[in-house]
Amino acid sequence: MTGKPYAAIIGVGRTRFGELWYENPESMVVKAGLDALESVDKGLHRADIQACYFGSFMYQVTNKLGLVPGYISRELGLNVPMTQTEAACASSSSALHNACLAIKSGVYDVVLVGGFEKMTDRYGKIVDDLMFAADPHEFDSGFTFSGLYATIMARYMYEFGKNDEKCRVALAQIAVKNHHHAVKNLYAQFRNEIRVEDVFKSTLIADPIRLLHCSPVSDGAVAVVLCKPEVAKKYTDDPIYIVASQQATDHVSLFSRISTLEIRATKFAVSKALKEAGITLKDIHIAEAHDCFTIEECLFMEDSGFYSKGEGWKGIYESIDSFSGSKHIPYVGNGWEVFVNVGGGLKADGHPVGATGLRQIYECFKQMRSEADENQISVEGGIRYALCHNIGGSGGIANVHVLAREVE
Amino acid sequence: MSEPITRRKITVDYNIRVSRCEICGRRYFPPKPFCDIEGRKSRMTYEDYFYCRGLFYAGTVIRRPTNKFSYLGSFITGVIDFNGEVKVPGRITDFMLNESEVDVSEFIGMEVVPRFRRIYVDGESGLIYYSSLVFSFTDDYYEAKDYKPLKPSEKSERPGIVGYGIYIPKFRIKNEDPSVGAGILERAVPFPDEDAATFAVEAGRRALIHAALDGRYIKKCYVGSESTPYAVKPSASTVIQALKLGEPYEDGFFSGGLDTQFACKAATDLFIDAVALVGSPIFRGEYVMVIGADNSQAAPGDPLDYTVGAGAAAYIFGKRDVIATLDYYVSYTSDTPDFYRREGEKYPRHGGRFTGEPAYFKHIVSAIKGVLKESGLTPGDISYIALHSPNVKFPVKAALDAGFSMDQIKPSLVVQYMGNLYSGSSPTALAALLDIAEPGCRILMVSYGSGAGSDAYIFTVTEKIEEKRERSVPVLSQIKNPKRQYVDYSTYRKWKESSGL
Repeated sequence: MTGKPYAAIIGVGRTRFGELWYENPESMVVKAGLDALESVDKGLHRADIQACYFGSFMYQVTNKLGLVPGYISRELGLNVPMTQTEAACASSSSALHNACLAIKSGVYDVVLVGGFEKMTDRYGKIVDDLMFAADPHEFDSGFTFSGLYATIMARYMYEFGKNDEKCRVALAQIAVKNHHHAVKNLYAQFRNEIRVEDVFKSTLIADPIRLLHCSPVSDGAVAVVLCKPEVAKKYTDDPIYIVASQQATDHVSLFSRISTLEIRATKFAVSKALKEAGITLKDIHIAEAHDCFTIEECLFMEDSGFYSKGEGWKGIYESIDSFSGSKHIPYVGNGWEVFVNVGGGLKADGHPVGATGLRQIYECFKQMRSEADENQISVEGGIRYALCHNIGGSGGIANVHVLAREVE
Repeated sequence: MSEPITRRKITVDYNIRVSRCEICGRRYFPPKPFCDIEGRKSRMTYEDYFYCRGLFYAGTVIRRPTNKFSYLGSFITGVIDFNGEVKVPGRITDFMLNESEVDVSEFIGMEVVPRFRRIYVDGESGLIYYSSLVFSFTDDYYEAKDYKPLKPSEKSERPGIVGYGIYIPKFRIKNEDPSVGAGILERAVPFPDEDAATFAVEAGRRALIHAALDGRYIKKCYVGSESTPYAVKPSASTVIQALKLGEPYEDGFFSGGLDTQFACKAATDLFIDAVALVGSPIFRGEYVMVIGADNSQAAPGDPLDYTVGAGAAAYIFGKRDVIATLDYYVSYTSDTPDFYRREGEKYPRHGGRFTGEPAYFKHIVSAIKGVLKESGLTPGDISYIALHSPNVKFPVKAALDAGFSMDQIKPSLVVQYMGNLYSGSSPTALAALLDIAEPGCRILMVSYGSGAGSDAYIFTVTEKIEEKRERSVPVLSQIKNPKRQYVDYSTYRKWKESSGL
């Protein structure tokens, strides 16, 4: 540790992710928010909440809502300061980042952080809507988000996996692994196993991306309660600490970035976060990677430094191919082993874009406190560190948080 | 997109405008006013990549497009790399895909050239959006020629044609039944992202390349068409903006232009005006571009549905570096209602057999007689004749009736392979002759526009035609290009309707 933690997480709550036809954005936020408040072990009064931070991408478009603080105020019965952040898929991790800064600055002791997205109300239009997170020139060139990631994937396979079927298989195995991880996740959108051949047979969306390479369109909300580390034990004997909260940005447009084959925002944010936490990748037991499309999980494994550039697919292939157990499938490398997306990731747990960043925090919190029930992962000596990686757009922003079981 | 957003995008997207730091050479798209590296010291200039070739760097096949692009079905889009200097997003056009997975890596590294195309439209009553961030593979059908403007000659000559460019879409439909189409074997079919304005820009660009003329010298642009994309809003301004015609000033150009309408002679009527302007002291010897562009629609099952083609012809008139002088001109006009389209109607109507003898033949033959009398020439003094070609039968009969031989008309009968180009018809027939004409050849071109009238022009080809020939994309090379692709009738109807919106 190189400094005191930003904050302690003392409570978490979430809705199931999926097609929640009977929920409004407000009702989802209430459910997740109350769930989080009530989950605090030693109790927490709503009056203890001094501020709220919310992340959501496009409620103004999907549900014609504005002034979300006003809705949150009404639904949760709070009159505290509320800040809304928008950073596409990284909206709620950006809210978390701001909440961390607020607590670390000493302004607040206890804050509620939320993330939500209601995507299914825009059936038939959501593919267009999502392109708000891309450059208009990309929209005007006919791109969709799957198209942008397919462009990355095509170039990746061209440069690093040319003529090697294993590369293609590895990028399908990621989906297979994440579906496998979601089977026992009660909140996940997809709790079914799939096979590599299912991925290859699924509908073409944007060559080479097929339907089962993609995260779904989802509804959902997540909330977490943060407090100042010094007062955490007042609320729980088992807080989880945020020991790094880092953000990095890059061009919104894929075409103008220095490289199409790496997400530089990930690279910068992970590097800064590890330094801030005073740990190395070998200390990370579980990681939540932003697998909006399977290629992105592969890029994360490289850009974070687990595997070297262009070698990620080999490490992934060897890890998954050699796995013979029945529970969670780790990625392994030289002297390290990490479980990635233990609840199914965006692929299988679901991807209500503005909720995803906090869903990662939820998952790690539960796993680190051994509260994941049947989906609990077993790590010898317990999970000491978890890393959450959430990006926006095709890589225009990356938020990385490192969670620790204990602090010095 | 709102109108102001559209205007701001046009200035960048039509020309693929990039900003460049003069100190370190870094380039930026979209263009921005400072360099990331040089910061406050930046000295930025602008460069256009409209005439440049790029490489397909990476991309995909969009199978589930956004609603705006659903009219295209599946299509390729990706990132285009210009010389390693700058990358831009770009859709690939004129490319048909089937349902099976495409190995995109096969396209990586292939050379592409920008095309000016529609991107999408806002419903049936909103704006039509165009962009040059649409590319085709360089070796795919089109012969890509580099644009290298030369300094115009100081020497002033008799005015005439300085350069020309023809554009015929890549796709064709065959007239399988020989009894329909009056001799037309196959017709050009526009891709769904094309319309008369995109044809006009493409033909105009080819004319500039052929003439090797900097667009800033062109001070007037006429676009003749009966199928302009807008009922009110000129295609001429689109052409001027895209081809940068006239001296640039702020984000516009010191040049004028307008759309003209007279059925199929909407363009040729302006040839004489162009020459008159070129000769005017007020115009100061600058150049005029005249384009005939049409994507005419025909009702399903109508006889016209077996003759309509699509494409454009662009001519640059001037009095320097002339390849064919305009020597004689006569127009003949009468109010003959043989073919018309009321405002708001989708398809034109016609008078059936009435469009023949009292309309087409009467006006064409009268104009021929008039111009021969005016010039004192006889059919034997003319090397070639090019007539408006709604089909093969009509121009052949008119030429023979007027005393010309099959040898004089035959090289111009390109209609049989591309259909009736309407405003572009007789100018394309003329281009087919210019493609092969030797210096000294005398060419008679006669247009016909329903409603009705004919313009007759006699040109004399100069020595200059030879040195410009290597920069042309000959009509026959477009017609016979082995990479042209055929579509079936339902695809033809679907595309035609889509691009006719």
